[in-house]
Amino acid sequence: MADKQIIKVRIVRFIIIISFLVVTVNLFRLQILQNEYYKNKSLDNRQISKRVKAPRGRIFDRDGVVLADNQFTSDITVGHKCLTIGGPDSTLTRLIDWFSLDEEKIYESLIRQQKSNRPYLTVIYNASMSELITVKEKAREIPLASVQSEARRRYVYGDMFAHIVGYVGEVRQNEIDLVPENPIYVSRDHIGRYGVEATFEEQLRGQPGQYLYEVDSSGRVVGHKSVEWYPVLPGQDVQLTMSVELQQSLSEVMAARQGCAVAIDVNSGDLLAAVSNPGFDPNMFVSGISSLDWERLMGNPGHPFMNRLIQGTYPPGSPYKIVTSLCALSSGSVTRDTSFKPCAGSYYYGDRSFGCWNRSGHGDVNHTTALVHSCDVFYYQAGLTISLDSLHDTAIILGLGQLTGIPLNSEVAGNIPSSKWYDSHFGENKWTRGVILNNAIGQGEILVTPLQMAIMTARVASSNAVLSPRLTTSDPLPENELLPFSSEDIKWVRTAMTKVVDIGTGTKAKLAEINVAGKTGTAQTPHGEDHAWFVCFAPAEDPEIALVVLLEHAGHGGAVCAPVAANWLTYYFDWKNDRMAAK
Amino acid sequence: MGWDKQYTSRFFGSKTVLFSIFAGLCFYSLATLWSVTEGISGPYNVVSSGIPKILFWKQLIWVMIGWIIAIAAYKFPLQLLEETAPILYMVMSLVLVAILLFAPEVAGARRWFFIGPVSVQPSEFAKIVLILMLARLFSRDGNMGNKVIPVAISFLISGLYVALILNEPDLGTSLVIVAIWVMMVFWYGLSGILLVCVSTPVLSAIFSFYSENVIHQPWPWAVFILLLIGFLYFARFGLLESSLLLFSNIITGIGASFFWDKLKLYQQERILTFFEPQRDMYGAGYQAYQSKVAIGSGGLFGTGFLNGTQKGLAFLPERETDFIFSVVGEELGFVGAMLLITMFFVLIISGLNIAKNARKPFSSMLAIGIVAFFAFHVVVNISITSGLAPVTGLPLPFMSYGGSHILVSSMMIGLLANVGSRTFEN
Repeated sequence: MADKQIIKVRIVRFIIIISFLVVTVNLFRLQILQNEYYKNKSLDNRQISKRVKAPRGRIFDRDGVVLADNQFTSDITVGHKCLTIGGPDSTLTRLIDWFSLDEEKIYESLIRQQKSNRPYLTVIYNASMSELITVKEKAREIPLASVQSEARRRYVYGDMFAHIVGYVGEVRQNEIDLVPENPIYVSRDHIGRYGVEATFEEQLRGQPGQYLYEVDSSGRVVGHKSVEWYPVLPGQDVQLTMSVELQQSLSEVMAARQGCAVAIDVNSGDLLAAVSNPGFDPNMFVSGISSLDWERLMGNPGHPFMNRLIQGTYPPGSPYKIVTSLCALSSGSVTRDTSFKPCAGSYYYGDRSFGCWNRSGHGDVNHTTALVHSCDVFYYQAGLTISLDSLHDTAIILGLGQLTGIPLNSEVAGNIPSSKWYDSHFGENKWTRGVILNNAIGQGEILVTPLQMAIMTARVASSNAVLSPRLTTSDPLPENELLPFSSEDIKWVRTAMTKVVDIGTGTKAKLAEINVAGKTGTAQTPHGEDHAWFVCFAPAEDPEIALVVLLEHAGHGGAVCAPVAANWLTYYFDWKNDRMAAK
Repeated sequence: MGWDKQYTSRFFGSKTVLFSIFAGLCFYSLATLWSVTEGISGPYNVVSSGIPKILFWKQLIWVMIGWIIAIAAYKFPLQLLEETAPILYMVMSLVLVAILLFAPEVAGARRWFFIGPVSVQPSEFAKIVLILMLARLFSRDGNMGNKVIPVAISFLISGLYVALILNEPDLGTSLVIVAIWVMMVFWYGLSGILLVCVSTPVLSAIFSFYSENVIHQPWPWAVFILLLIGFLYFARFGLLESSLLLFSNIITGIGASFFWDKLKLYQQERILTFFEPQRDMYGAGYQAYQSKVAIGSGGLFGTGFLNGTQKGLAFLPERETDFIFSVVGEELGFVGAMLLITMFFVLIISGLNIAKNARKPFSSMLAIGIVAFFAFHVVVNISITSGLAPVTGLPLPFMSYGGSHILVSSMMIGLLANVGSRTFEN
């Protein structure tokens, strides 16, 4: 055999061995060294994770009536392309034709949605069953239309609970946390934006689940076995202390009048009903409020988004005389029967005249009749016997000028001025002792919220110094701590308040069978007509309910608020009797 | 040559070894095809495999026919084959032309004739016909005389087939024919000068392609041409030869882009994807990626027979044909893959041994052609499935489903044993 031949054989053999070696080494690299990597890739291939939204917790009233729940709804939507395709056979034209929609409005709405970068454009929101069936049956004729279904928040009573229950809205990009594993929010999820929905967000939202399904190459789920998962934790329900029936009746008696009314249980602090007028329909926010609606709401001079209950600050006016009385009584400067100079319609302090609301004067008044007839002149003189700071402290004890702690966002504290406050706002020695005159009748720089007034009323009615509002049934009941006033003094206040309704300024709040104790108020405001107040509790002998009615720029509390209170209290006691009878 | 070595020689070439490997590969093929056509087992009892069971039974029949053909080829007189080779070549040329004219188009290609339920792929048989024809051509005047003329003729003979098959189009088979031709020319014995003449234009084409289509810069090809000029100067080539060689290099370099334009879009995409795998994850790169995942996830012992999920859940494309090796890699792991590769290795080394020891030039050329056939198919197929080469349709001998391919491979084994038996057993 030729040498040449042997060399050829060696070359071929060498090439073959090298080729096989390369292939083998490569297989070793893939299968042994990178096995872990490719195993994971193989898993990634066939496992898809499916996110399962946690159903949001519902919100109930104290009797278990649903205030907010989730409703499975379907929208008829079209793709973005639809806006560029016209003609009689286009999807959009057909939809408009079949369902006799307003063409102009639809286009306007679709263009607006397109601008906000939605994946689909909704043509019919919350479509009816017959509309859905039509779309499904004629799917071939409308290739660009589809049906999007989701569980959507529904506020059963619309605007009635808007300021308490609040609403949810779509989550914003910056609220989506980037935990890759199992994010709480993903795009298009809803988050509580206002009211209980916002403050109880964590409890209500629950925790989304993550299911891993095994799929084949075309994405079909293989078998029924979910491989691994994070469980879905449904959101927890929240039960409010409020009552739909009481809320409804309070809304009715308030009618459309601008203002606020709140009723609380004086023993438990339960918020039973709270109306803030004007309101809005929270259902508008669930799928994104239209700019038209938004502008309309924002342009409303009544500020419908303001929850007057905790955000409206008003001078308290005459009901504040309760504070002044208790302060003076406990300091000993005034007794229950003290009389000062008779009321001639005004009082001179220094060179300034301070008027009584009753320009013709009350004549001789003692402490009791002064409160019953709301004599300002008496309270000017009583105020001069006490210090500003002790009046401030008494107001604080009764719950005014501070956050009540109700679990709703954006509560404001109001203001009960102390001497320090005047020093810092007016300058040291830049204010005179004369301010006490205004303070004593609840005017001047004092600002309170209606809820604070309700707490004050309830504390007087129950003698409980730590009573605070309770919004959900899972909140602890308040402890019992007596007010730091003598029980005779408190009893006297209650008696005087009973007389207010009986024979004084609040007679329009009188009920047929139950004695009501109350105090009217007509708070002057620099912004127009006086605010009308009426604070009360009932029954006067054994108080169980405290009610505050505030009507903005409505005049005399005794004239406008007291009848509202009487109407509602009548309803309340009927309601209560019905319940007692039912038991 | 000592006794031991002689014994080894006899062993690597005996019909016992060849037919044992043949049997082993057939068994391996049928087992893997069974798994491919079986729904995935374990917890996924509802998933169909996506590949009908009938393929397994068809393959079983093909394997049985393959054995008959292998035994026939083993017994067939080589002399007769040598004499009829030109006639076979002519007939095959006509068939290849006919297929371009008359065959129905399937998935954009004309590769098959359909005879009743059976589809025949003539280009598979073209390989063995070409080997016979080249073996005859290169064995006519032994090692004497001028070798340039037979090589030139062989270039035309093979070139015709390459051109016809490329038009089907079937890039894989064309490349096999090129590989067979290169190996047989080399075995025929080409001088160093001729080797340079043959190989540099090919390199020129590759560099030109790389410059133009991958990095879009001219320097790799320019550097190559400069190196070639330097080599020609230092190797003291004559001026005429140097000029001719340089000219042919430039021609193929430019011709490469011409050839590139002739390729189908999907073929271009596959080759580009090989150079830049991240190019198209869900198009041309998908097959290569899924195949690598299948093999890589197998590990040392694999996921177990019937349990491959890349296979069972249909992530692996063409798992019954060109990518069947990935199924072996996934289900039987490194160990199973190595067993298969070892069988192929022994087969190819045996073939080389037979070619080396063959007494007649025709037998030797025939054997080395068959070695080239098996070696190219096996190495390139496994390279493709494990991500070392761009995706090209190329079956794995005996393993991949396909009647024509099984018959041709069986015939090759029979012929190899035929040559071997005349070498070692007389």
